[in-house]
Amino acid sequence: MSDVLKQSLDLSIFWEYRAILLQGLIFNVLVFVCSASVALSVGLGAALLRVNRFWPMRWIGTLHVEVFRNAPDYIMLVWVHFVLPLLIGLLIRRRVEFHPFVSAVTALGLVYSGYFAEAFRAGIQAIPQGNLDAGRAFGMSERLILWRITLPQVVRRMLPEALNLFISMFKATTIVSLIAVPDLMYNVSMVIQQEMRPLPLYTGAALTYFLIIFALSSGVRVFGERWRRKILA
Amino acid sequence: MGNWERLVWNQRDVLLAGFVVTVEVCAIAFAAAIIGGLMLCLMRLYVPPLRLVAIVLIEFFRDTPIFVQLMWVAYVWPEVFGFPNSFFNAGWLALALQSSGYLAETFRAGIEAVPSGQREAAFSAGMSQAQTFTRIVVPQVALATAPSIVNQFTVIVKSSTLISVITVPDLMSQSQKLVNVWYEPIEILTATAAIYIAFVFAISLAGKLLADRLRQRYGLAAS
Repeated sequence: MSDVLKQSLDLSIFWEYRAILLQGLIFNVLVFVCSASVALSVGLGAALLRVNRFWPMRWIGTLHVEVFRNAPDYIMLVWVHFVLPLLIGLLIRRRVEFHPFVSAVTALGLVYSGYFAEAFRAGIQAIPQGNLDAGRAFGMSERLILWRITLPQVVRRMLPEALNLFISMFKATTIVSLIAVPDLMYNVSMVIQQEMRPLPLYTGAALTYFLIIFALSSGVRVFGERWRRKILA
Repeated sequence: MGNWERLVWNQRDVLLAGFVVTVEVCAIAFAAAIIGGLMLCLMRLYVPPLRLVAIVLIEFFRDTPIFVQLMWVAYVWPEVFGFPNSFFNAGWLALALQSSGYLAETFRAGIEAVPSGQREAAFSAGMSQAQTFTRIVVPQVALATAPSIVNQFTVIVKSSTLISVITVPDLMSQSQKLVNVWYEPIEILTATAAIYIAFVFAISLAGKLLADRLRQRYGLAAS
C-alpha cells in the first residue's frame, strides 16, 4: 500500500517528460484563447438577437441559448467533429473534414456562447432606458449607442461572471484530447502507453491542472469581490 | 427519413439501455454528492481540527477538470486505495467527488446566510445546539439551496457523457458503438445530442418551477 502510494507520488517521471507535457499545456491555452474569442463574439450576437425588437429574432436567440447551455460539451465536441463536416459536405457536394483543433474550438466556443449570451443579455437589460434615449437625442446611430453606451457598461457589470466562465472553459479544454488534439491530457496518455506507469502520470496531470486552476480561481475571487465593490460604490 | 428509422428508431433498445445506465450513474452520483457535500461542509464549519482538510478537499475537487479527475479515480485509485473495483463505480465516484466540492460551498453559503440572531433566539428559547440546527438552520438552508442543488444535477448529467471514455455503457457510449457498426454518424449522433439536450433542459425547467413554487409558498428569495 505505502509502496504504491510512494510510486504514485513519485513525480520524477512527470518531470522527465516536462518538455512534451508543457507543449500539451500550450495547446490547452491555445484552444482556450481561440474558443473564448468564438464564445464571446457568438455570445454577444445571440444576446443582441434576444433583445431584438422582432420576435422571430428573439426566438432564434432563445433557441441558441437553450440548446447550447443544455448540451454536454463532450457530445457537442463529437457532433461538431464527426457530423458537422458531413452536413457541410452534403450542402456543398464536396468532402469536408475538420482538423481536430478546429472542431475543438468550434464546439467549446458554441457551448460557452450560450452562457456568455445570458451574461451579455443580463447586462444589456440592466441599462436604463434613459441612457439609450439620451444617445438617440444626441443623434447617435444604434450602432454607436451599442459601442459607446451599452457595451462599456455591460462589460463592467459582467466581468466577474465572465472570468468564472473563462475558468470553466479552461477546465473544459481537457476533453479536446478525446478527438486527438495534442493537449496535456493527450500527451499524458501517450506517455502512459509508452511507460505503462499511469499512477504518477495521472496524479501529476491532476496536480498540474489543480495548481493552475486554483491559482486562477483564487485570483478571480479576490478580483471579483474588489471589482463589485468598486462598481457598486 | 428512412435513415432515421433504420439508425435511430430501430436501435431504440440499445439507446434506451444506455440512457438507463446514464440515469443510474447520475442518480447514484447525485445522492453521493449531496451526502459528501454535506459532510465536507459540516467538517469545514464545525470541526476545527478537520477544517483545513475539508478546505483542501473542496478546493481540489472544484479546481480539477472532471475528465482529469475521472481518469485519476479510474486508474490511480484502484492501485492506491483498492477501490473503485469497476469502471461503473469509478464513473459515479468521480462525478460525485466533483459535485460534492461544489455542493459543500453551496451548503456553506446557505448556512452562513441564516442570521445569527435566529440561533441566539433558539438558544434563549431553550433549544439545544442539535435542535437549533435541525429545526432552525436545516429547513431554511434546504429551501434556499434547493434550486442550486437541482442545477448541480444538470452538471452531473452533462459531465456523465465522459464516463463513456472509461467504457461504462452509458447513452454516449452506446451511440458511439452504433456509429462504429453503421458508419453513419449523422442521425445517431444528432439524436443522441437531442436526447441529452432535452433531458438536461427538462431537469433545469423542473428546477426553475421548483424555485418559483418555493418562493411563492415560503416567500423565500430562491436564487
